[in-house]
Amino acid sequence: CSPYQKAMKSEEISEKFQVGEEMFNKGKYAKANKLFKQIVPNYRGKPQAEKLMFLYSMTFYEMKEYYLAGYQFDRFVTAYPNSEKIEEAAFLSAKSSYTLSPVYSKAQVETKEALSKLQEFINVYPNSQYMPEANAMVKELDFKLERKAYEIAKQYNKIAGYTGDYEASIKAFDNFIFDFPGSSLREDALFYKLDSAYKLAMNSIASKKETRLENAKAYYNSFKKAYAASEHIKEADKMIIDINNELETFNTKS
Amino acid sequence: QELNYETGQKYIIEEITVAGETSFSEQTIITYSELRKGQEIKIPGKEISKAIKKLWNSNLFNNIEIYVKEIKGSAAFLEIRLSDLPELNQVEITGIKKSKKEKVIEENNLDKGVKVTENLITTTKNYLVNKYQKEGYLNSKVTVSTREVKDSIQKSRVDMSVFIDKGKKVKVKSIQFNGNAILKDSELRAAMKNTKKKKLYRLFKRSKYIEADYKTDLKSVIDKYKENGYRDARIVSDSLEILDSKNIALHINVEEGELYTFGNIDFIGNTVYSDDALRRLLRIKKGDTYNGVLLEKRISDETKPDALDITNLYQNNGYLFSTINPVEVSAEGNVIDLEIRIVEGKPVYFNDITVVGNEVTNDRVIYRELHTRPGQLYSKANVVRTIRELSQLGFFDAEQIGTNFLNPNPNEGSIDLEYAVVETGSSQIELQGGYGGGGFIGTLGLSFNNFSLRNILNLDAYKPVPRGDGQKLSLRLQASQFFQTYSFSFTEPWLGGKKPVQFSTSLSHTKQFLYDYQSREADRDKRFNITGVTVGLAKRLTVPDDFFTLSQALTFQHYNLKNYNTGLFTFGDGYSNNLAYTVGLTRNNTANDPIYPVRGSNFSVSAKLTIPYSLFNDVDYAALKDERNELLDVIADANNTDAQRTEASNRVGEIDQERFKWLEFYKIKFKADWYTELAKKLVLRPSLEFGFLGAYNNDRGVIPFERFFLGGDGLGSYSLDGREAIALRGYPNQSIQPVDKYGNVSNDGGTIYNKFSLELRYPITLNQSAKIFALGFLEGGTSYNSFKDYNPFNIKRSAGVGLRIFMPAFGLLGIDFGHGFDPVPGGLTKNGWETHFIIGQQF
Repeated sequence: CSPYQKAMKSEEISEKFQVGEEMFNKGKYAKANKLFKQIVPNYRGKPQAEKLMFLYSMTFYEMKEYYLAGYQFDRFVTAYPNSEKIEEAAFLSAKSSYTLSPVYSKAQVETKEALSKLQEFINVYPNSQYMPEANAMVKELDFKLERKAYEIAKQYNKIAGYTGDYEASIKAFDNFIFDFPGSSLREDALFYKLDSAYKLAMNSIASKKETRLENAKAYYNSFKKAYAASEHIKEADKMIIDINNELETFNTKS
Repeated sequence: QELNYETGQKYIIEEITVAGETSFSEQTIITYSELRKGQEIKIPGKEISKAIKKLWNSNLFNNIEIYVKEIKGSAAFLEIRLSDLPELNQVEITGIKKSKKEKVIEENNLDKGVKVTENLITTTKNYLVNKYQKEGYLNSKVTVSTREVKDSIQKSRVDMSVFIDKGKKVKVKSIQFNGNAILKDSELRAAMKNTKKKKLYRLFKRSKYIEADYKTDLKSVIDKYKENGYRDARIVSDSLEILDSKNIALHINVEEGELYTFGNIDFIGNTVYSDDALRRLLRIKKGDTYNGVLLEKRISDETKPDALDITNLYQNNGYLFSTINPVEVSAEGNVIDLEIRIVEGKPVYFNDITVVGNEVTNDRVIYRELHTRPGQLYSKANVVRTIRELSQLGFFDAEQIGTNFLNPNPNEGSIDLEYAVVETGSSQIELQGGYGGGGFIGTLGLSFNNFSLRNILNLDAYKPVPRGDGQKLSLRLQASQFFQTYSFSFTEPWLGGKKPVQFSTSLSHTKQFLYDYQSREADRDKRFNITGVTVGLAKRLTVPDDFFTLSQALTFQHYNLKNYNTGLFTFGDGYSNNLAYTVGLTRNNTANDPIYPVRGSNFSVSAKLTIPYSLFNDVDYAALKDERNELLDVIADANNTDAQRTEASNRVGEIDQERFKWLEFYKIKFKADWYTELAKKLVLRPSLEFGFLGAYNNDRGVIPFERFFLGGDGLGSYSLDGREAIALRGYPNQSIQPVDKYGNVSNDGGTIYNKFSLELRYPITLNQSAKIFALGFLEGGTSYNSFKDYNPFNIKRSAGVGLRIFMPAFGLLGIDFGHGFDPVPGGLTKNGWETHFIIGQQF
């Protein structure tokens, strides 16, 4: 009978704790987790609980059970505000949420949760050793949210031939530029906004065409001014020729 | 020691001790109380009461008190006295079935180890009393008691016993009205939708008394008066009389008041729509009998989100913040003058549109289905339509799709809209083994409804299969010793992502072996293979309206026979090819639930065509036809020798091989279903179907493939020849064969059929986890082999009842009992009862 098996069946809670800790140190997290789980209720309110709860949370983290790990670390942080492990626990809680964050095109509940946890961590422990990692995670998660908004706006542009709704794309890109002013996707966003406005004007009914052409022209000018060396510039230049040609017909009419 | 609260004095805590029965350490309790040694406190003062509160709120202790043990100068010695709240050891529930007990324990959190507070006992008791009263047990009594456990474990623990006396189900024996002269008792009783008198034939709505329902019913009674012009009607009093342990009587005293009529109706505040336009929606004239309920409905009908009312006129055209208030300005001489006061507000445009909760499905799959987009004018109708279409995708729980309006800004006229979805399982796995057709048949079917082909090589996406791109993939393998079928199909609803052009492709291969009657085994030398490929495109149209879908498909099937003689072919070795183009137009505007539509209709018309080879292949089919007829006479004539007859039969085979080398036909089909909600959730579904299979060249003749087989459950039985099984309940499967003018019955299917059916459906439950509905049907259909014999009204009739169960993991299952009133073709007596099992959505 292995010490683990014996401890599992034992009535003695201190034995379970001790064997569990040994298992934890050996890297046998699933076994440690099972032992800890049995004794968590018994230690509630006792001084040893602090250590137990930290190790218990760690076993979930090591077992890649990030939902439970995040939850247990959170509980640890609120229950033991004076613990010396609190910085690590707060960081690992945030990292658990970070790990759970899905691809940008799905619901971003965990992304937002991770961002708020990381932000809080950064505020509370500005000198932490985990700072570089935390900053890198924040950057990655922020970009995920940017990409999400950008791709949605771009899809409005893509399906506009079917929906006839180029305005949706323009509006969505406007919102994107407003929400993420420093985004690395800004260049593409401005270009596809111009593209939407261009297509809207070209396919427009006569009564609204001139204003729409003028709008598209204004978008072109601001794009050209900001990103003269853009990879999209050739395409944009082609558009402005069309726009100017069309505008000329209005000028000659009047 | 007498202490005065107002003049609390300051002390320093010198020592804190803990007394009482507790399993917690002294240190823990002191720390938790937030009282510290050396702390300066007032006695009496807020620190002590705060400490008591803190300990109370932990929900761990009972009888908490803090005493001053001793005071020495400015030093105070405190003692915290408390005892642990008892933990729950065992729960004993009496008075209900064992199976129900677990639910009671679960819903009240009566797990072992929870702290037993007064609150727990009270809520448990209230929960149970409410639960049983709701079920009609008006006299239910519940007692909850606790008993301390005495054993060697130090913790204080209690056993709980819950005694439930449901009593008898109470029914309403009579409902009596007093003071009513205009409306009869029966009319008022009918207005009470949930509280019903006990009657023998009341099956669906059993008589029971639930107080909350009764209160709403009283309102309905008043509404009934309001609908008839009695605006002042009220319930003066009502009483409940207990007749015996099972019966009660209700007495309701009403005062009817006087009859009112509508006077002048003025609109005030409307700038966007004219008085006339609004009056047309209101449809109430001066002099009409006053009807408060109707007035409310025409202004805003809460029961129908897409109703034609004034509120929706504004709501569907951007006026989200508009309010419409009818105000009575005069009621002189029982004539009510109304002012309809309208505050229009600014038109509102959508700013941001978001979707949350899509843990599996990718954004692009959802956003392309939205009918509300950024920058658009707010329209309630578009929101309702989006919700309906999202639910039709089948990826989300239809009952749980919600909308949240965020950041409303009436000044700028903008609003954000968030759709909240909940993912639901949409994959089906079918694994079955069965004994049938003389041997074991094994089937493995996999169907993934929200598949992601892009991620097929991405190992991380296997949870358990790559999902989220809205594609459909299914695989099916079926094998027995007589046949093997392999099929694969894939569907992408938005090919290219720009337009809803559905691309689908499927491959299938079937091997069939002939049954050897002597060895009772499959003879593997005699086989029949069918290989098929289909590629299709379906496109949602925008004209005439966007419920239309145009679909096109190209199918190719290759039949290959080796030493395989069946009734289908006159040759045993040979082949046949079927290359056909199908074009179809459907219109589906059924709503809301695809499993249980309550309104809308579904039309489809399709044509399947082959190339008219006979026009240009220079084969003289007329001569072949004559030769074939002569040869058939030779075969039929018993006076000929066997050798002559065999030779003739071989030649018929040759001719047929020529005829079927490339199949030549056209097939037209039409089908329509309507859904109408007769009463709440009670749906009537009339439907009709028609099909015709023809030949371009009558000498080449109508092919024996692709025919219609009427009768039975209509399940796509194992079909060699592209046959279509058409359901007709009350008759055996594929039994309604055409009869020619001499009364001869064939068994190779019809080339013309038609079918009428009338179905009445009522849901038993429409839960997400299981949808169950019952149905009754009347139907009839007939099939013929040529237009000359065709009589669409000479139908085989049937009637019956059935049940359908839909569970996401299993799909639709059902059973129908049908009674056929007519004999099957060739029979003499009526067919009588048949039982049909339904898998998948056939009817």
